Amino acid sequence: MMKFVGKIREKIINTNFKGNLENLKESLFRLLKMVKKEFRLLKTDKMNLIIALALPPIIIVLFGSMSNIKYDPVPIPCIVVTNDSNTFINPNNYTETKIDDFAILYVDAVNKSKDLDLIAVYNSSEDAYVMETARNDLISSRIQIIIVIPVDFSEMLSSRLPGIIECIPESSDFQHIQDNLNAVQDSINIFIEDNHLNPKFVLQAYEEYSIPSNYNFKFNYNITLMLSFVIFGISTVLTILVVVQEKPIARLLLTPAKRVEILISKYMTYMIILSIQVILLITSCLSQGLYLRGSIFDLFIALFMVGFTGVSIGIFISAVSKTKTEANQLFFAFYIIIVILSGIFIPISAMPEYLQVFAYMLPLSHGDPMIRGIVTKAKSVFGFDFFSLLCISAFFVILSFIAFLKRRYEV
Amino acid sequence: MSSYNAVKIMVDVQNLNVAFGNKKIIHDVSFSVKKGEIIGMFGISGAGKTTIIRVLTCQIEKKNWTGNVKVSDLTPAKKKNHSKILANIGYVPQLETLNLYFDFKPMVNVDVFASNYGMNKKEAKEIARSLFTILDIPEDTWDKSLKKMSGGEKKRVSMALGLIHRPEILFLDEPTTGVDASKRYDILSYLKKLNRQLNTTMFIITHDLEAALICDKVAILREGKLLEFEVPQKLILSLPSEGLVVRFIIEGLNNDKINIIKKFVSVQKIIRVGNEMLEVLMNNFEESLPKLIQYMMEKGIKINSMSRDVATFRRYFQLRIQEEEEKEKILM
Repeated sequence: MMKFVGKIREKIINTNFKGNLENLKESLFRLLKMVKKEFRLLKTDKMNLIIALALPPIIIVLFGSMSNIKYDPVPIPCIVVTNDSNTFINPNNYTETKIDDFAILYVDAVNKSKDLDLIAVYNSSEDAYVMETARNDLISSRIQIIIVIPVDFSEMLSSRLPGIIECIPESSDFQHIQDNLNAVQDSINIFIEDNHLNPKFVLQAYEEYSIPSNYNFKFNYNITLMLSFVIFGISTVLTILVVVQEKPIARLLLTPAKRVEILISKYMTYMIILSIQVILLITSCLSQGLYLRGSIFDLFIALFMVGFTGVSIGIFISAVSKTKTEANQLFFAFYIIIVILSGIFIPISAMPEYLQVFAYMLPLSHGDPMIRGIVTKAKSVFGFDFFSLLCISAFFVILSFIAFLKRRYEV
Repeated sequence: MSSYNAVKIMVDVQNLNVAFGNKKIIHDVSFSVKKGEIIGMFGISGAGKTTIIRVLTCQIEKKNWTGNVKVSDLTPAKKKNHSKILANIGYVPQLETLNLYFDFKPMVNVDVFASNYGMNKKEAKEIARSLFTILDIPEDTWDKSLKKMSGGEKKRVSMALGLIHRPEILFLDEPTTGVDASKRYDILSYLKKLNRQLNTTMFIITHDLEAALICDKVAILREGKLLEFEVPQKLILSLPSEGLVVRFIIEGLNNDKINIIKKFVSVQKIIRVGNEMLEVLMNNFEESLPKLIQYMMEKGIKINSMSRDVATFRRYFQLRIQEEEEKEKILM
């Protein structure tokens, strides 16, 4: 031990502190100069620097403005179908309601409920096909719940018997099933309280468009969101460098090849790749037990459309970027904003109006509802979301052509 | 027919002026080039060599230039002519990264570029084989990745691609830049070989003054003005005493000694080469040389060695640029 201490003492005595201090000073000087050089290099790519500095606060401000708003749940659109004054066609037991006073009072309660937004009231005694009409509204996502007032509703309540309300909540998104049921329950509570009724009340729910129990519940509820994110992300990443990294384009432009032809060839290539990606995605989803109510063709078109929007945004980013780093930064900026405003963090309907308008201009806000509609409701692909995506992709295709035609090439 | 080809004008430039905004880049340039000629475009950086080539290759919009320009009898002033002009010209950029897909094999690159001229794969391959053979590109590399090729091989593949569609005119931007000294002459001799065998008109933009060796005519540019457009030998012969030059190595050479030599009556031009070497051009060379030596000795200038030679194009170029700079100084 003493020997070891002695050695250290000797080393300290022999150490040239002055020389070491000089070395340290020189090293620090070099270090500072190199840091300065790094900043100079950063300044040469201004766009990159602007994105790197401005994007994080923009994201936080955007997220904050979405989250800071007082969250009032958006009233759930519903339709009330009343069978109260109708003849119940039952060959064994023909019953006919004489009165429908309570049905009207219940409709008042629905109107009073802040959780529900009454779109229409249908009376089955006036139109035999009201349920079909209501179901069409449910499938088109115009409404989220059909509330059904059963036969003899008023008579049972008049007799002080427990009341029954039936409802058909849209159950394709499991996160909203409970919200839907709570909203109906709220209307029942108001109805009981206002009319001093027997608090024993039964709410019978029949889930519509839910995943059958023999299918993987978690996989099927999450896959629709996953699909749109995956296909959009992959197709965008694949295309963000196609223009910016292909240097011989400059030389190709000194052949009879035209700029338009060069860009169209890129679109054609990546559309073929996209088709293969979509086929592989659908195949792998089916192999994992996808519950697909709609047609595979509709699902293919839907995924292709989401992917094509990604391709058009990717090629646009590539056409406007001067360097690969700039393209990567721009992609990140686009992607993060698109994801934040897609409705996965906060429902679009709960965002401030100006953000809602902006959100509906972004592709992922349409991808999930469109795919979910096909998968769980067998909806046709050609709806609002499809045409929105068509407009978004057309917009970016045009922008990418303008950017590419104006891009400076020199050999 | 052959006599017609010999005089066919491939490029005709009359009163070309190029300006970007208020900045005038090219000032009233005129020249014409016959089929099969090799033209060397020389000038220091910013002389306007590349700008002229860009006009000829349809890269500069008409709004930026005036004058009568014809490439293969077609004017780049009209957009509808661009495809035809581009189909008739080849271009070999300075950097291979702009001309070659490094991830592809040479033959795949051939296919990519040839298809833009409407050529089928078989036809393109046949032409590529003959070009690769002329350019001595080893056959075992034709179907290997370009990444594995040497710099010189890449350069030659790039040249072959410029000629793949058998263009009448080939533009080469700094073909010898980035090639080591021993290979520079190889590249130049390959160009001459291609020119002889294919009778392709060539424009060589270069800083490498040795390239004049293979040029039928040279264009010397300075600050957007065309100073000369002539056969290089003719330019050399236009120097005093038809370009005969005496080269002295002088001990302790300095500006005072140079000024003393300048005062000798027959001396026309003096070029300092390095620290101690001086090249002198004078009138009546044979008669004046002994007198000059006598004069220098009388003035105490010690000559360590002396030789006589004929001026190269490099010397002509230096003198011409020097002359222009002196003219400018006087005007200022």
